[in-house]
Amino acid sequence: MQYPHTKAVRLSLLVLLICAAFAVVGGVTAQSSGEKVLTTGINQVGGDPETLDPNLAQASQELAVIQEMFPGLTVQDTATGDLKPGIASSWDVSADGKTYTYHLIQNIPWVHWNSQTNQVEQVKDSSGNPKYVTASDLVYSWQRVLDPKTASPYAYVPADFVVGGDDVENGKADPSTLAVKAVDDWTFQVTAPDAVSFIPNIDGLWPTDPVPQDAIEQYGDQWTEPGNMESYGPFVLSDWQHDASITLVKNPFWPGITTVPQPKLDKIVYTLLDPAGQFANFQAGTLDASAVPVEQIDAIKADATLSKEYYVGTSPCTYYVGFNVTQPVVSDVHLRRAISFAVDRQSIVDNVTKGGQVPAQWFARPGLLAAPTLDSNPDLGIKYDPDQAKSELTLALKDLGYSSAADVPAITLAYNDSSGHAAIMAAIQQQVKDTLGLNLQLSAREPTTYFSSLENGGSPQMWRAGWCQDYPDADDFDRVVFRSDSTQNNALFKSADFDKLVDQARAETDTAKRQALYAQAEDILVNQQAAIIPIYWYTTLELTKSNIERTYSVTGQEEYATWDIGS
Amino acid sequence: MAVAESNQTLGTGVASLQKKAQGQSLWLDAWKRLRRNKLALIGAIIILLNIFVAIFAAQLAPKPYDLQVLTDNNSAPAWVTKLFPNMVPKSEGGYVNINNSYILGADNVGRDLLSRIIYGSRVSLAVAFVGPFFSLLIGITFGLISGYAGGKVDNFMMRFVDIVYAFPTLLLVILMMAFFRSGFAAATPGTFAYAVGQLDSSMGGMLFIFIGIGITSWMNLARLVRGQVLSVREKEYIEAARSLGVSTREIMFRHVLPNILGPVIVSETLTIPTYISYEAFLSFIGLGVNPPLPSWGQMISDGSRAISSYPNQAIFPAFALFLVMFAFNFLGDGLRDALDPRMRGVD
Amino acid sequence: MAAFVVRRFLWMFLILFVLSIIVFALMHAVPGGPFDQEKPLPPATKAIMMEKYHLNEPVVNQYFDYIGDILLPRVTYGRVVPDSAFDYLINIPLPAAFGDQATIRWVNFGPTYKSRSLSVNDIFRQNLPVSFQLGVAALAVALAIGLPLGIIAALHRNTIYDYTGMGVAIFGVSVPVIILGPVLQYLVGVQWKLLPVTGWGDFEDMILPAFALGFAQSALIARLTRASLLQVMNEDFIRTARAKGLSERVVVLGHALKNSLIPVVTVLGPLFAALVTGTFVVEVIFGIPGMGRYFVTSVTGRDYPMIMATILLFAAFLVFMNIVVDIVYAWLDPRIRYD
Repeated sequence: MQYPHTKAVRLSLLVLLICAAFAVVGGVTAQSSGEKVLTTGINQVGGDPETLDPNLAQASQELAVIQEMFPGLTVQDTATGDLKPGIASSWDVSADGKTYTYHLIQNIPWVHWNSQTNQVEQVKDSSGNPKYVTASDLVYSWQRVLDPKTASPYAYVPADFVVGGDDVENGKADPSTLAVKAVDDWTFQVTAPDAVSFIPNIDGLWPTDPVPQDAIEQYGDQWTEPGNMESYGPFVLSDWQHDASITLVKNPFWPGITTVPQPKLDKIVYTLLDPAGQFANFQAGTLDASAVPVEQIDAIKADATLSKEYYVGTSPCTYYVGFNVTQPVVSDVHLRRAISFAVDRQSIVDNVTKGGQVPAQWFARPGLLAAPTLDSNPDLGIKYDPDQAKSELTLALKDLGYSSAADVPAITLAYNDSSGHAAIMAAIQQQVKDTLGLNLQLSAREPTTYFSSLENGGSPQMWRAGWCQDYPDADDFDRVVFRSDSTQNNALFKSADFDKLVDQARAETDTAKRQALYAQAEDILVNQQAAIIPIYWYTTLELTKSNIERTYSVTGQEEYATWDIGS
Repeated sequence: MAVAESNQTLGTGVASLQKKAQGQSLWLDAWKRLRRNKLALIGAIIILLNIFVAIFAAQLAPKPYDLQVLTDNNSAPAWVTKLFPNMVPKSEGGYVNINNSYILGADNVGRDLLSRIIYGSRVSLAVAFVGPFFSLLIGITFGLISGYAGGKVDNFMMRFVDIVYAFPTLLLVILMMAFFRSGFAAATPGTFAYAVGQLDSSMGGMLFIFIGIGITSWMNLARLVRGQVLSVREKEYIEAARSLGVSTREIMFRHVLPNILGPVIVSETLTIPTYISYEAFLSFIGLGVNPPLPSWGQMISDGSRAISSYPNQAIFPAFALFLVMFAFNFLGDGLRDALDPRMRGVD
Repeated sequence: MAAFVVRRFLWMFLILFVLSIIVFALMHAVPGGPFDQEKPLPPATKAIMMEKYHLNEPVVNQYFDYIGDILLPRVTYGRVVPDSAFDYLINIPLPAAFGDQATIRWVNFGPTYKSRSLSVNDIFRQNLPVSFQLGVAALAVALAIGLPLGIIAALHRNTIYDYTGMGVAIFGVSVPVIILGPVLQYLVGVQWKLLPVTGWGDFEDMILPAFALGFAQSALIARLTRASLLQVMNEDFIRTARAKGLSERVVVLGHALKNSLIPVVTVLGPLFAALVTGTFVVEVIFGIPGMGRYFVTSVTGRDYPMIMATILLFAAFLVFMNIVVDIVYAWLDPRIRYD
């Protein structure tokens, strides 16, 4: 007797065979041309970068691509973190320290990708002459980024460093009133309201990189699409498969500068994948460089090949847990100090995060300009100390009127849910319980709900956060985040002494003196007042195939113009 | 084979069927047949065992579910490394810390996997019952009324189903989570809100999320029930009953409902895994249970990221899930056979 | 029948309208906004962002603006600078007599807050075809595995075929895609290097994700087919057919199978709608630029126009599929009539 399913089974087998055949053929036809193509990943779970427009970018994933197309007036040397000339070969500062005059490298051409000829071409003006990056492009960029019509999420950074910036950003003044000036084609001048030593750092940041007025006016929101996009840096955008990949090709017209030489790579292909997907591709040989999923670190370190391809770099970010110092129980400074002393950062770094992170003793990550370093201040801030934790707890219980730690109502520790944060929070919960007998109640929250709940003084008793540099200076950490009037100050920490110190440090020009001031400020923030618990200073973890000749960045962003592919 | 089947079917004469239906209660008869179905019994036993494990988790688990020994993170016993050959022990040049005191291994912060799986059965069983309870309740009622009423009522009700079907569960879940995780946590002891809050926190803050999933996932069931009712109500015996003057309610519950229970139960037992998967999915996108309480979904979601280096962290909870699903499916299947009136007297 | 279909389509617009009001209200009730992020924006900057997208206006006004942009056509003159807030699906150039480059533009789903260069319509254009391909492939896998398994199991009830087939089905439905995806990726892509680990474009890119997605659904189909077929096999008309001495093959294929497909078709409609509008987990794991990711990221990122667009798209597709299902019902079971 014949059953109908035999036919179906045969059909399924046939389909499987065809699939297998395709797979084999696909494997054979995959080949490489003579081009030097670097394939790497962009860690982007949600999909595309929001933008490749320098005036509008804010996320590090976007900046990684943007800096290859739009080097700043000044650039941070990725190898040392020092400030170096960018497209400005030099600059002068006025006697009052407020006006900076930048001398641009002459004749850097604007280029774009021509998809018909598949070539990088110079942009010509209406009379057919090549268009160069000039001071007026910078003036346009400053005016555009601060114009409220542009709605740049990052305008608030340059706004503080140009006269009239805040008024323009808030719509009270016309962008043309900004104190930026094109003295001539190759000389650009910007005047800041205060004399601050790190102004050249700010002026080199991406939000005010030169942008092409003609392309922006012609293509509107779509000027960042391949072909439309005009740029001048070592690489040019040639393809953008939204939600899938971004391809940059070498710009042969880039003259090359010390920190950003003419590229040796012909092409960079960024694939948009989470770290797990990147790592799987790296293992399969389809990515040359990959992020490292924390779950794989042990296996990578033990593997003969992978361990050589594994690299731990520094990253200018700090992971911390804040208190809301106005909330019940944690308003007591001794309780806060007790909890902070009870957190064994080294154990968290060794056993949970595993990526060679540095146990943090204070907030402003060492390596930032004027931030205290572990060499100069080995005992600054706060460290794991169970004995001191217990003695602080005794004081706290007396203050609060509880007879034992178990009587203290559970303290909420909220965080934006993800498996990485969950593990760190669980470790902190356990350590506080073991050392002090205090109960922390973990509250995993949906990320956007969580972030919005931190604002306007509504933060829970304890909350997690991370902070990364906008500009490489301790000012961007201590003053920007925790000054009493800062909108980012979710700890609601208020200290007149702290404010005075960070204001002094900002006005001071001598780096050693500034460092000492920040050390004092940090001591108030993390030790005396213990408004936050610094947990660790970030690292970036990377895998690169052994044939990639690369440089190693300390800024958290790689400069691919210095990379090459060996045989 | 076919011969045997036709013999069976010949044995079920319509007359004998109806005679039996008068004499025996539907459910007693069903139970008798269910008992004879070995796989269904095994399924039932596994589910009972699982309930037992969930209740007596504290007694059964070798370690507290939240006890972390950070230095034991990701360690595994020797037998696990033999089961998964890519987990090479440190002693053999690999990366896995061997620690035989963890029967199935430890997770990324050094918590005992077995204990967490045992405790995790609580949340997972809660999903398996809370969600389907709401979905069955709404779905069957809705489908029955819609299918039996027919006409304009049916049309209107089915359009309502379309609206609910497209309703964004995720949005509702986030709303409920934001509202209840902060709202009910702050309630005063002794009130109803406090009791609900306690129940919620014993489920790791997931109670309302499960309810939310339940009340937005009954539409398939409603459509299924309606489809069945549509085809059943045209059948001769229903028409006969109607012509005999049997009330609508009686027709629905005595004749229509038993006839459609089979597909409904099959569909619902098959839906239970999707509830548990949904819990894993929520963990995957950052909407999981409040730690340190474990759930299988969260363990699977966290473990899936480590699948190539520590497969035990995902595979063991996935296996526990698999066992329970296996049980639900075979039990559901057995129930289907047992409840189908046309199978009465068979076997 | 024709009147029935027309009536259902009219219903469809009513449904979409009601749904749009509910979802619009609900999404604005959810705490947090599109510009609440890990690194918070200063209030002044946030206010500027909110103003750009008119989020500072009353919700009711925002709703009418939104619906108006979709439903009301507009005519533009001259060259239009691309603007993600004004991107229309339908653009019909008018003869020169109507004015300089006069164009009727219609159906604007608005900008997405998570891209400064793309509109919701752009994302539809780019990502929907990808999800559609993947969804069709996954459904094909589901049917290719599910139907034969279900039929075999039903015909060999309580034999080793039945248990094996159902074992496979249960396995499929019990292993979450979150596990199946990475396992397939690791074994087939990384270890054996047979198929690409991630990516989209070629046929071979499609195999793993389609299988990961379709396998679980095949279980559903197998179980329903089996259950339903068993039930139908006991019906009078099958007994009659057998009694007439028809071969088992004709009985099963010619009579029983068609009738047993009603429950299968019931779930197939919504299933198809869900598959072709994308699935988040598979897209993320396999790096596929489809629509599915937006169903999740729009909600978690409070990208309001994208939330509306995904829900309305899914709803429209679903309602459409359900109309198809009802038509198929009538074909499968002539006793069901729509009038």
